[in-house]
Amino acid sequence: MNRTSKVEFTVELVRIVTAVAIAYAVALITLFVISDDPVYIIQQFVLGPFSSPRRIGSIINLAIPFTFTGLCMCFMYAVNKFNLSGEGIFMISGCVISMVALKLGNSLPAPIAIAVLFVVGAGVGAIISGIPAIMEAKFKANIVVASLMLNNILVFLAIYLLKYKMRDNTIGFLGSLPLPEVIKFPAVFGKMRVQAGIFVAVIAVILVALLFYKMVFGYKMRVVGNNPQFAKASGINMMGTIIGAQLVGGAIAGMGGTVEILGNYDRFQWTASTQHGFDGLMVAVLARKNPLLVPVAALLLAYIRIGADVVNSKGDIPIEFITIIQGIVILMVAADEFMGGFKKKLIYKAAAEELAAKEKAAQKTA
Amino acid sequence: MFTLEWIGNFGFSVLRLSTPLIYAGLAAVISAKAGMMNMALEGMMLVAALAGVVVSGMTGNLWIGLAAAILFGVITGGVIAFASISGKTDLYLTCIATNLAAAGGTVFAMYLLTGEKATTSAAIRAYTIPSITIPVIDKIPVIGPMISGHNLLTYVAFFSIWAVWFFLKRTRLGLRLRAVGENPTAASSVGISVKNIGYISFLLSGVLCGLAGAFMSMGWVSFFMKGMINGRGYIGLSASNIASANPAGAGIVAVFFGFTDALATSLKSGSSFPSEFIEMIPYASTMLAVVVIGIIRTNKARKVAKGGH
Repeated sequence: MNRTSKVEFTVELVRIVTAVAIAYAVALITLFVISDDPVYIIQQFVLGPFSSPRRIGSIINLAIPFTFTGLCMCFMYAVNKFNLSGEGIFMISGCVISMVALKLGNSLPAPIAIAVLFVVGAGVGAIISGIPAIMEAKFKANIVVASLMLNNILVFLAIYLLKYKMRDNTIGFLGSLPLPEVIKFPAVFGKMRVQAGIFVAVIAVILVALLFYKMVFGYKMRVVGNNPQFAKASGINMMGTIIGAQLVGGAIAGMGGTVEILGNYDRFQWTASTQHGFDGLMVAVLARKNPLLVPVAALLLAYIRIGADVVNSKGDIPIEFITIIQGIVILMVAADEFMGGFKKKLIYKAAAEELAAKEKAAQKTA
Repeated sequence: MFTLEWIGNFGFSVLRLSTPLIYAGLAAVISAKAGMMNMALEGMMLVAALAGVVVSGMTGNLWIGLAAAILFGVITGGVIAFASISGKTDLYLTCIATNLAAAGGTVFAMYLLTGEKATTSAAIRAYTIPSITIPVIDKIPVIGPMISGHNLLTYVAFFSIWAVWFFLKRTRLGLRLRAVGENPTAASSVGISVKNIGYISFLLSGVLCGLAGAFMSMGWVSFFMKGMINGRGYIGLSASNIASANPAGAGIVAVFFGFTDALATSLKSGSSFPSEFIEMIPYASTMLAVVVIGIIRTNKARKVAKGGH
């Protein structure tokens, strides 16, 4: 790593930490202003998530779907395509694997049944994220619009499947028949009751990081995203790489939906979009599309979310204030000009020092 | 089913449902002509819709509410312009972040103001922008009930198509805006401030989104409801894309999307078909229209490349 890229890395880190700190401060000030008992509420927001092993466990549980959708958005973001279908994929793959699981029942042994469900979930994700990807590549459609329209359609499709194909009429709410016992993930880590999907998430992070940094496809993907002209000039198959990256991303979001159902639900009962896809965008932005940082960003977001949840249940603060904070974080981290002057100054300084050192060396030899 | 009365009513609801799409389409046209893709129409409309209801309820004056809706649309546009033009944030990300923040932020603001999380219908007194009966025309069968008796803002929407065309084609500022969109470097070399034009395009987009939001919460219905824009901003954006940012074309496509919306609404009542599929119609037809226009354009480009006509 040369000095400039070292400076860039440091500034990037400082920038992200500052952005998160500012957003967090905004959250605290908001709570302070609108709450009747600000000290108590702020204490609950900051420390509440750590107040019991169960809550720490729920931070981790919430970070698991964020990790999957964050990884999904890393792929989209890496090739600079804002394919937001992850939102719909998460829901529809959860729905489809529930249907498959109900069909399978207890007929297959657990490992095989779970493997089948993962393949189905990932397949559904890949197919669906391919729709806006191909619409964009072949028909020049706007990918954000295409993927959001698709999400709306998928929500209705999932509700239709739930209502007409697997509804349990004996319960008082709209839910599917109970899922078979074999496929349910056990809870691990004692009192924290973390769902076993965490292991799948860890494996997914490692595999995606290998794909990004150690494999040819990952390299191609990053070149296509960072420098399309260079990629084209060096003969990389642009369209193939761009669509391929989106298919893999979609598959990972599909696995996320699968893990969520297997780990946390007795029945399929989603009747609205889960928002995990959009949270994935925030995670990917925070992690600067580096898959290894995705779990960190996911945990951070989950911590803030659980904090908001605690506050929501303890006081009269609606949980929605968090989305404003999320918007602020995305904007500040993505803003080039935010602390851009600071970065330039540091790079100039580093360059000047390097130059001075060179001159000194030249004088010595002379 | 297909009586004259039904046709008249159906035509009426097509025009009514087209109104927000026309505004959104025109807002997208203005940004597109300035060389930018405004994907935050959804969020801008949502903020404006809430602002209109709240301010008219608080002041007891409908027109102050309408002005507030427009003002908040403009402010949201200004925030996006500031972030993406002055802060050099990726425009896609800025718009997505704005939409996310608006979706949650409106619910948050609504809760703080009224204690409700779903709608303001119970808590805030409703004011609606008046409907206008056009004399003489309203007596004509079929056409009368179709085009008379609409909300004022529906007529303003159709007038805006002309106004946006006039602005873009017949005013100095419109010419500059198009120049920046076509070639920012060339435009800045003759002394046009690309930055200012970018701001102006988003602020004007904000005015149109403000009108759209006001129509949604003070015309279409008389209250604010969580997520009430429901993808209309994106459908409007598609209308502009399909029409290559031509105001009249965007208006026509918006009416077509209004037609699919009206079709879905009238199919839903009195049909045994699962309503979920009917709900998909507006979104599916948007996707389909985008693909069809894409195929037409690529074929045309291929012909041109071959040297044909």
